[in-house]
Amino acid sequence: MNPEFLYFIETVLNGLMAGVMYSLVALGFALIFKASGIFNFAQGVMALFAALTLVGLQTGQVPFAHLINAIFGTQIHHFGWELPAIIAIVGTLGVMVAFAYLFEGLVLKHLVNQEPIILFMATIGLAYFLEGFGDLMWGANIKAMDVGIPSGGSFWWEDVTRTWAPEDSGYFGMYIDKLDVVAAIVALVLVSALVAFSQYTKFGRALRAVADDHQAALSVGISLRTIWVVVWSIAGFVALVAGIMWGAKSGVQFSLSLIALKALPVLILGGFTSIPGAIVGGLIIGVGEKLAELYIGPLVGGAIENWFAYVVALVFLLFRPQGLFGERIIERV
Amino acid sequence: MNMQPARSEFTGARDDGIAKGDVLLDVKNVSLAFGGVKAITDVSFDILKGEIRAIIGPNGAGKTSMLNVINGFYTPQQGTITYRGVPRHSMRTTDAARQGISRTFQNIALFRGMSTLDNIMTGRITLQKRNLFWQGLWWGPAEREEIEHRRAVEAIIDFLEIEHIRKVPVGRLPYGLQKRVELGRALAAEPSLLLLDEPMAGMNLEEKEDMSRFILDVNNQFGTTIALIEHDMGVVMDISDRIVVLDYGRKIGDGKPDEIAKNKDVIDAYLGVPHGEMDEEQQTA
Repeated sequence: MNPEFLYFIETVLNGLMAGVMYSLVALGFALIFKASGIFNFAQGVMALFAALTLVGLQTGQVPFAHLINAIFGTQIHHFGWELPAIIAIVGTLGVMVAFAYLFEGLVLKHLVNQEPIILFMATIGLAYFLEGFGDLMWGANIKAMDVGIPSGGSFWWEDVTRTWAPEDSGYFGMYIDKLDVVAAIVALVLVSALVAFSQYTKFGRALRAVADDHQAALSVGISLRTIWVVVWSIAGFVALVAGIMWGAKSGVQFSLSLIALKALPVLILGGFTSIPGAIVGGLIIGVGEKLAELYIGPLVGGAIENWFAYVVALVFLLFRPQGLFGERIIERV
Repeated sequence: MNMQPARSEFTGARDDGIAKGDVLLDVKNVSLAFGGVKAITDVSFDILKGEIRAIIGPNGAGKTSMLNVINGFYTPQQGTITYRGVPRHSMRTTDAARQGISRTFQNIALFRGMSTLDNIMTGRITLQKRNLFWQGLWWGPAEREEIEHRRAVEAIIDFLEIEHIRKVPVGRLPYGLQKRVELGRALAAEPSLLLLDEPMAGMNLEEKEDMSRFILDVNNQFGTTIALIEHDMGVVMDISDRIVVLDYGRKIGDGKPDEIAKNKDVIDAYLGVPHGEMDEEQQTA
């Protein structure tokens, strides 16, 4: 095969993998938006917070160590034990569920029947609170995450693909990060599980019912508050998965919260209310920006990856504001 | 017509420990106001186990408000409601549903994006006991439970003769069928007390006959107590055991259909003839 063509395939593959990472964040947004009509500005920070908590638990960091040391003049930083990844993950999940309870009880409960914009503002507040709280609890330094996910280029794939090109072409084979492959598999499992959960369980039905009609949902005995806690817990779980993947890829650092911004064009493309849309949107953005970088980049001096997604989103807003899979927006006049 | 009893999995109505003919729900001196607007003023009536009780009255008489008070959407300023022997001032909607009060709405409130089957399944949510953990695992207890409830829902679908629209999103169904699906969802909870808010509004004659038949069947086969609001007097006189008449938020009549038909206050309210106390009301209105 022509090395030129193989290079194209490699770009598409890497684009798909990058897209999966965007989708993971977008999923959390779509879930909450679908069930409660709230655009959760804090989704990215939730992923960051989950990743921080996971690393903190795993390495036995003392929460609020700096605060405690400053007040009591002590010098404690670590408990001195390390937890296996799986226990730390379960622990973090517990923290995210507790967080969902607290957020429902302290904030959402008091904002029932308010305009969506008010709830949106509440999530902005939550984003800033959580960022500061995470900093205070676990410290602001960049942490390495190691939960045993393989990472680095796959030599096997490189060897296989090298044989596809003619011997004398000087082609070195395709680079593909093992971590990205794992992320893609995880995302696939996650989405299948979420779709199955929402289709075939009573909670899934209740969730869709609440999204559809509050009053009718109440009349069949669905408690809105329980559903909200469930939804935010699931969003916390998705944030944890996104946090693990992003943390393992680029370290647990506060710029992780900015990945939420990349989820926006993904959602606009896929439609805010669609779970499959979040996945397909992510893939399109991922592939699109990598290809644009490859083919249009040289013409304009590169760095297309940074803005390409937003331009695509803008075009979509002009011609198909509901996104590819979103519910059609029909306004009665 | 389908007169064979429902399958054993689906009993239709739960056992609430109240004998047929005893008081199931007692509304006493209930008043409800929104700001300065009085929706219901000092209304008392009771609903007996096993009967079909109609609530009628001109538009704005407070009928729907009354249903909303009974199932907990509204909390009355005054009065008590005794349900299954337990008096209460207010109640959460979800608790009402758990204790066996189901309802349908005047303007159909179905989950439009969901299929007929899923809509009716939501009616059984209060009967599905497995918690989130088992639901998340899915295999095992939650799956068995799901199948068991699915069977009950199939029995309801059979009963209402809507097999052909089982998988259709209800938003696409014609109005009359939507009303029937909504009845199905309410029935799925195996209610002690079924509240129907204008189940036949906007229907043609044939659909009305079907719906009347279903209401009577539910009452006969399952022994479900039914309170219904309806404007079609022919239907009301035919199917109800007793009628309560509201006008301007007050009770102006209560009794068997033939008594109501002769009640002078009721006739006047419907024809708009000033009479007694009504006189003042109409001048101020």
